[in-house]
Amino acid sequence: MIRLVAGLLIAAVTLALPAVLDDSALAVYILLGLAAMVTVGVSLLMGYAGQVSLGQGAFYAIGAYTAALLALNGVPPLAGLVAAPVVAALSALVIGTPLLRLRGHHLAFATLAMQLILLSLAGQLEFTGGDIGLQAIPQFSIGSFEATGAATYAYLTWAGLALVMLVTRNVITSRPGRALRALATSETAAASSGIPVGRYKLVVFALSAAFAGLAGGIYCFYTGYVAPGSFPVLISIQYIVMAVVGGLGTIWGAVVGASAITLLLQALNTLGALPGMPTYAPSVLSYAVYALVLIVVVLFLPQGLLPAVTDRLSRKRQSTPVETR
Amino acid sequence: MSAFLTYLLNGLAVGCAIALIASGLVAIHRVTGVVNFAQGTFAVVAGLCTSSLLGLGFPHGLSELAAVLAAAVAGLLTGLAAIGKRGTTPLSALIVTLGAGVLAYAVEIVLWGDQPRSAPGLAGSVTVAGARIQTQHLLVIGVTAATFVLLALFFGRTYLGKALTACASNPYAARVVGIDVRKMGLLAFTLGGLLGGIAGVLVTPLRPISFDTDVTLIVNGFAAAVFGALTRPVITLIGALLLGVAETMAAGYGYGSHQLEVALGLMLVVMIVQASRRSAISLEST
Repeated sequence: MIRLVAGLLIAAVTLALPAVLDDSALAVYILLGLAAMVTVGVSLLMGYAGQVSLGQGAFYAIGAYTAALLALNGVPPLAGLVAAPVVAALSALVIGTPLLRLRGHHLAFATLAMQLILLSLAGQLEFTGGDIGLQAIPQFSIGSFEATGAATYAYLTWAGLALVMLVTRNVITSRPGRALRALATSETAAASSGIPVGRYKLVVFALSAAFAGLAGGIYCFYTGYVAPGSFPVLISIQYIVMAVVGGLGTIWGAVVGASAITLLLQALNTLGALPGMPTYAPSVLSYAVYALVLIVVVLFLPQGLLPAVTDRLSRKRQSTPVETR
Repeated sequence: MSAFLTYLLNGLAVGCAIALIASGLVAIHRVTGVVNFAQGTFAVVAGLCTSSLLGLGFPHGLSELAAVLAAAVAGLLTGLAAIGKRGTTPLSALIVTLGAGVLAYAVEIVLWGDQPRSAPGLAGSVTVAGARIQTQHLLVIGVTAATFVLLALFFGRTYLGKALTACASNPYAARVVGIDVRKMGLLAFTLGGLLGGIAGVLVTPLRPISFDTDVTLIVNGFAAAVFGALTRPVITLIGALLLGVAETMAAGYGYGSHQLEVALGLMLVVMIVQASRRSAISLEST
C-alpha cells in the first residue's frame, strides 16, 4: 500500500515537474533522466550479473550516432530513436562475444579500451564527421507533431526511463534474473546448476547497452549535435559512480544515485561559477567530488545509499539482496 | 636502414617507459591482487613535479629525485585508500584506485593548471650506425635497464624483497610465518609509485605531460602487463618493448593516427587468448 502511494506520488511529481521548471532547470532534469537510464543498465550489469563495464559511454555514443546519422539521412526520427537501442544492443552482442570471456579487472580494462577505440574511430572516420561530429540534427517528431520545447524532451526522457525500469524489474524478478544473481556470486556454481552462463551474461550486456543506446538517441535529438568530445571516458566512470552510490543491483538505487550525483554536480558548477572563484574551479570541484564520493561509498557504504537508508529506516537486518563484488 | 634503426631505438625507449609503469602494476598486483588504476597518475605527478622544480631553479638530479619521491608518496596514499581498510575486495579496490586517479586530477589542476607541461632533459643526440638518436632516449633505456637489475636484486637477494615475494605466492603462509601482509601491500604500492615516478620523470622531456595523460599511460602499461598475465615481470618487460617498438614503427611508417588502436587491439587479443586458456575455477579461489 505504502509502495503504491509512494509510486503514484513519484509519478505525479515527475509528470508535474516539466510544466513548472524553467529551461535551464529542464536541461538538468533531462540530463538527469538520461543518466538514470544508463545507470539502471550499469546497475543491472554490475549488481546482478557481476560484470564491470568501464565502457558504457561507448554504447551511449553508438545510440547517439545511430539516431543522428539516420535522422540526417532523412529517416523519420521515431525510426531513428527505435534503431538507437537496437544498434547499440547488436554492437554489444558482437563486441561482447569475445570480451565477456574476460572477468573482473580484465573486463574493466577491455571495455575501457573498447570505448577509446570507438572514440578514436569516430574522430577519424568520414561519415561520423570526424572530431567536429554531426550537426544540425532535425528535431524529434512523430508524424506531423514536432518536439520543439524542452518540456517535450523531458516527457520523452522520463517515459524512456519508466520503460527501462519496467523492463529491468521484469527481468530481475524472472527466472533468468535469479540465474543472473547466481552467476554473479559464482560462475562455476551457476554453470553446474545448469545456467547457460555465457549466454546470460551476453544478454544482460546487450540489454544494458540498449538502455544506454536509447538514452543516447534521445540525447542527440535534444542537443541537436553529437561529437566524440561529448562522450569522454569520464562519462563511463560517472555512470559507475552513480550506480555504486545508489546501490548496485537496485533499480531505484540507480535513479537515486543518478539524481544525487547530477544535482550535486549542478550545485558545484553553480558554486564554481560564482564571481571570485578561479576559472578552473568547476572542473576541480567536480573531479574532487566524484572521486571522494566514489571512494567513501565503496569503502564505507558498499551497499550504496538507498539500501543503507532503507535498512536504517526499517531497522531490520535483512540479508542483502546482492553481494557487491 | 638508418631510419629503421632510429625507429627501433626510439621504440625501445618508449617501450622502456611503458615497462616501468607496467612493472609497477605487476609489483602491486602480485602482492595485493589489486590492479592499480592510478598507476599512470604516479608518472604524471612525477613529471609535473620535475617541470615545476626545474622551473624554480633547482638543479637536475635533485629535482628528478624529489619528483620520484613525491610519486612514491602518492603511491603510498593510494595504497592506504585501496587496501588500508580490511575486507576490501580486489574489485572494490580497483574502483577505489579509479577514484584516487580522478581525485589526483583535481589536485593536479589546482597545482599545475590543465595545460601540458614539459621539462628539459638531456640535450643533444648521438649518431649510431648512421642513425641519429636523442641522448634522452638512451638515458631512458639505460635507467630502465638499471632499474630492472636493481628490482631483480631486491626481490631475489634482500629479506624485504623475499617477504614481498612470499606474500605474492601465498598470503596465508606468509602470515603464518609472521609477515605483515597488509604492510607488504602498502610497500608494494609505494614501490609502484616509485616505478611510475621514474617513468614519468624520464618521459616528460620526450613528450609534454598534462593531468589526463594518465589514461594513455595506464592503458599502455596494462597492455604490457597482461602479456605477463600481471604476474611475470620479465615477460612484461618483453611485452612493453614489443608494444613500444610496434607503436613507434606504426607512427614512423605513416599509420600514426592508428597508434592507439594498435596498442589497444593487441591488448584485447592477448587478454582474450589468455582467458580462453584459463579455467574459471582458478579465478574463484575465495
